[in-house]
Amino acid sequence: MPFTIIAGDSFTSSGVGVKIILPSSADYFRTTNITQMALSGTVCVRGEWFGPKFGVGASAANSGLRWRKAASHAILIDSFSTATASDGFTYVTVSPVVEAQSANAITAITAASPAVVSQTNTYSDGDILQFYDTTGMLQIAGMNFQISTVSGAGYTLIGLRAVGLTAGTAGYTRRISKMLAVEPQFLYVTEITKATQAVVRTSVDPTAYYVIGMKVHFSVPTSFGMYQMNQLTGTIVAMSSANYTMTVDIDSSAFTTFAFPLTTSSPTAALFATIAPAGASTQYNPVTNVQTGYNFQYQPFRTGQFTPYMYLGAGAASPAGAANDVIDWEACKYEN
Amino acid sequence: MSLGITNINNMAPELPVQASEDLLSTPMFNLIHSFGVDQHHAESYIGKTTRMSRFERLSTDGGQLDGSGLDPASEVPVRTDIDAPMEIYAKSIVTNEQVILYENSKTLTKFTALLGLWLREKEDLLMRDLFSSSVSYINATGGLNGDQPSNISLNDVNNVENILLGNDARTLLSNLDATQMIGTAGVRDAFIALASTNLSADLQRVQGVMLKSAYPTQEGLRPEEYCSISRFRFFVSSKAAKTPGISLRGNTVYTVPMYGLEAAAKIEQNKYTAVIGYRPPWVVSSVAQNSQLYAKFAIARAITNQNWISGLKCTTYLPS
Repeated sequence: MPFTIIAGDSFTSSGVGVKIILPSSADYFRTTNITQMALSGTVCVRGEWFGPKFGVGASAANSGLRWRKAASHAILIDSFSTATASDGFTYVTVSPVVEAQSANAITAITAASPAVVSQTNTYSDGDILQFYDTTGMLQIAGMNFQISTVSGAGYTLIGLRAVGLTAGTAGYTRRISKMLAVEPQFLYVTEITKATQAVVRTSVDPTAYYVIGMKVHFSVPTSFGMYQMNQLTGTIVAMSSANYTMTVDIDSSAFTTFAFPLTTSSPTAALFATIAPAGASTQYNPVTNVQTGYNFQYQPFRTGQFTPYMYLGAGAASPAGAANDVIDWEACKYEN
Repeated sequence: MSLGITNINNMAPELPVQASEDLLSTPMFNLIHSFGVDQHHAESYIGKTTRMSRFERLSTDGGQLDGSGLDPASEVPVRTDIDAPMEIYAKSIVTNEQVILYENSKTLTKFTALLGLWLREKEDLLMRDLFSSSVSYINATGGLNGDQPSNISLNDVNNVENILLGNDARTLLSNLDATQMIGTAGVRDAFIALASTNLSADLQRVQGVMLKSAYPTQEGLRPEEYCSISRFRFFVSSKAAKTPGISLRGNTVYTVPMYGLEAAAKIEQNKYTAVIGYRPPWVVSSVAQNSQLYAKFAIARAITNQNWISGLKCTTYLPS
């Protein structure tokens, strides 16, 4: 069967999922864990994915063939979605993107600041999850949160200070792309302080999307308390990646307090509080020598997530490998 | 009766099939995401990014002269810049000469038409993605399906109208006058709302809806238009934005952008708006057997005024 290798490269795994952009699409994709190939562990050393052209032989989403080594160096071949489940290959062709995952159940969301989620998972630090069908903490159903301090049993939501909310007792998540189809994207607001320069907390790290000097437009339903902020536009003057916050030049000190609507008011309370990008004012400060308004990495409206791409799940049993593993990858396009 | 009957069993037709007099229609979804946006043009040779600028209005506070001779404080005007880089999209069809030789339906002509269709459909989806990614939406809560967001209701639509009017947005569509002074109703000048065809049943249920067929005139209406509710005229498409399984109850959530004049823009690159070309077989193939048709276009897109665009997220009354 004739085929053409259309792309190939290598990367050193950092233990998180990897996206491989495939401008010419792919029919077959293969990874080889060069580091583990030479060792004697029982980890994934090769992954193979077969695209839709293979019909009944095509790989399922988040799966593919997994070549593992037995301790004796013999090869065991199974699929990533076997009983010892681990993330495999997900081929994504359209945006906005949901990297295929089966429903993943939450067992608890603490009413703490920050909130902590209990969930058996294979997520990585920095992943963005979409929460839905929540029980208890109904106000966050439909929101996206970036996760940190991930273990196989749970993670922390820096962007959700949940003291005062009803703890969540159930729900589901799915991992979504960090970039939407178009950037800069709108962001969910989870907190706004009352200050001469309001500090706004978002559900994800805002520094990945916005930049100091950009203007943001607020949409804050009255159910969130600080209705005075609704439809105002402010300029970002400071940002914190550690706290998922940004400071804007809007004096909110006399506004009413921002708070999530109560769970008991669901589903009639209007949701959500959000901010959306509203351009920039190009300025130069001769005192600080800082110029804003010419950032062409974050500021312009542009395609956020190129498609198609291959998402490689992370971990010792997955195609993207564990931290420091060197991974070779090849993408093939068949001619027939 | 003779036993030697010549019939279609012992003499089958020379040609087993004939083509009907015309081809069947190629499906095309409603293109609703581009016609309501501003169109700008980018010149060649002066960079990839287009900057659209708006001077914000001056403050109306104070300004009275008290007779003392002191001048009122001057004000520094604010200019807001919206940037959008040009992006190029392309698609091609490579055709073997035997297809052209044997196919009955003028394949290259038809394939060119297909590429033209792709061009407009792709542009529509790109604008849809802009609306769904970079705009703030409010969950509908006035419906009765018990979900969050709920199905769409008049209160939800009026809420968005309040937002747009409160931000001094201008309507895009002019009013349709009543044709008779008694017995017919006009349609007010209106903002635009873009919805999924899956919402059509719910739109019919909204209090005060006027279906398109009840408009005082049908002249000049776009086929994609479905109805008028409050100050919005709704256009529907099967490809309108939706997110499966994300509602409180795990149902599909539909995004309905609602906007006025100059809320969003599409920028076309001069001389690159719609390029359709042909590469002959002796260029594409070493034995001159394959030829190639291609289509390309350049586009940049931006939300130019967040004050003049809002919208709803809603579910359907019956789960979908």
